[in-house]
Amino acid sequence: MSSPFKTVGASVEDAVRDAIVAAIPGASAEVRGSGGHFAIKVVSEAFDGKSLLQKQRLVYRAIAPFMDGPNAPVHAVDTLETLTP
Amino acid sequence: MDATQQKIDQLVKGNDVILFMKGTRVFPQCGFSATVVQLLDELLPSYETVNVLADADMRQGIKTYSDWPTIPQLYVKGEFIGGCDIVKQLYATGELQKQLGVTVEEVKAPTIRVSAAAAEVLKQAAAQEGADTLRFEVGPQFQYGLGFGQEQPGDLVVEAAGLRFVFDRGSAKRSDGLSLDYDAAKGGFNIDNPNAPPGVRQISTDELAARLAAGGVHLYDVRTPEERAEGYIPGSKLMTAAVRDEVMALPKDTPLYFSCRSGGRSQQAAEGFIRAGFREVYNVAGGILAWKGEVAR
Repeated sequence: MSSPFKTVGASVEDAVRDAIVAAIPGASAEVRGSGGHFAIKVVSEAFDGKSLLQKQRLVYRAIAPFMDGPNAPVHAVDTLETLTP
Repeated sequence: MDATQQKIDQLVKGNDVILFMKGTRVFPQCGFSATVVQLLDELLPSYETVNVLADADMRQGIKTYSDWPTIPQLYVKGEFIGGCDIVKQLYATGELQKQLGVTVEEVKAPTIRVSAAAAEVLKQAAAQEGADTLRFEVGPQFQYGLGFGQEQPGDLVVEAAGLRFVFDRGSAKRSDGLSLDYDAAKGGFNIDNPNAPPGVRQISTDELAARLAAGGVHLYDVRTPEERAEGYIPGSKLMTAAVRDEVMALPKDTPLYFSCRSGGRSQQAAEGFIRAGFREVYNVAGGILAWKGEVAR
């Protein structure tokens, strides 16, 4: 499996944001973090009517490749906000 | 389904409440796992935990099983509930209690005192931010958080010193009688909370030597057996799983002392025993490096 970072020259923050925006229809995302710990805020109509678990699952599925393995660039998501516009 | 997936499936279906976590219920080894343990401890007398740090297959396997990339993970009656963030929010709204089948305890809005100096600072900050609601968080380990935020379902609202504060249920329970003051010299807030449990006390090696001489001291060395072989404080006992069980069986008012090389690991261990309900717990400041007496081998 190729690393998600070889393809992007951008920062981890940007790469994570791009992955979320690509995976969730109509999403806008803010990603801030350092040292492997991140705060993520996603706004999308796709969250409408979904439970908290379903909403977070959409985001986690999108960023799972960044959290996989012992050297994963995303070690923890300290806060995850999933909002509807 | 491979063997690990089958094992996880059996665990999830065979236990009403099971938490996959880093560390154990008594010694969580990650802040997120510790938070969930604290909430569950408050609601349930017993539940199952799996330490994923002790089993690499399990650590990867549970992520696959739940299609969820982080630990901890909570399952109730075979259903995946979520990670730390979700558990915290479900607890705050009372939904978690419902799913666990425990009565939702009624929580009253806490009475808090805000000093004039603190109110002034907060009002200025609020005006700058254009915000009117302050979220006051008092975590399960009495970690404090104060910031601007919206009222959420289940929150309790408190008006004090002309300010509007919101508390989640857990924070509200841990805040009654709290005073908030601002120390201009230090440039920070001071919080006096009568609900906070006693913390770990620091003891110098000199004071420890005097108490050891008097006898009856429960002193535990939390270093590795290899480090201990190089020398230890006479009268200390190496902490092992078996010794840990012995200690847990002691009356909770037994004074406990913990030492390591320099005082860091023993502080962690001491905090674990505070969480386990012990009320008089000492950390040997500076550890064996600060010990001036004889060293046993």
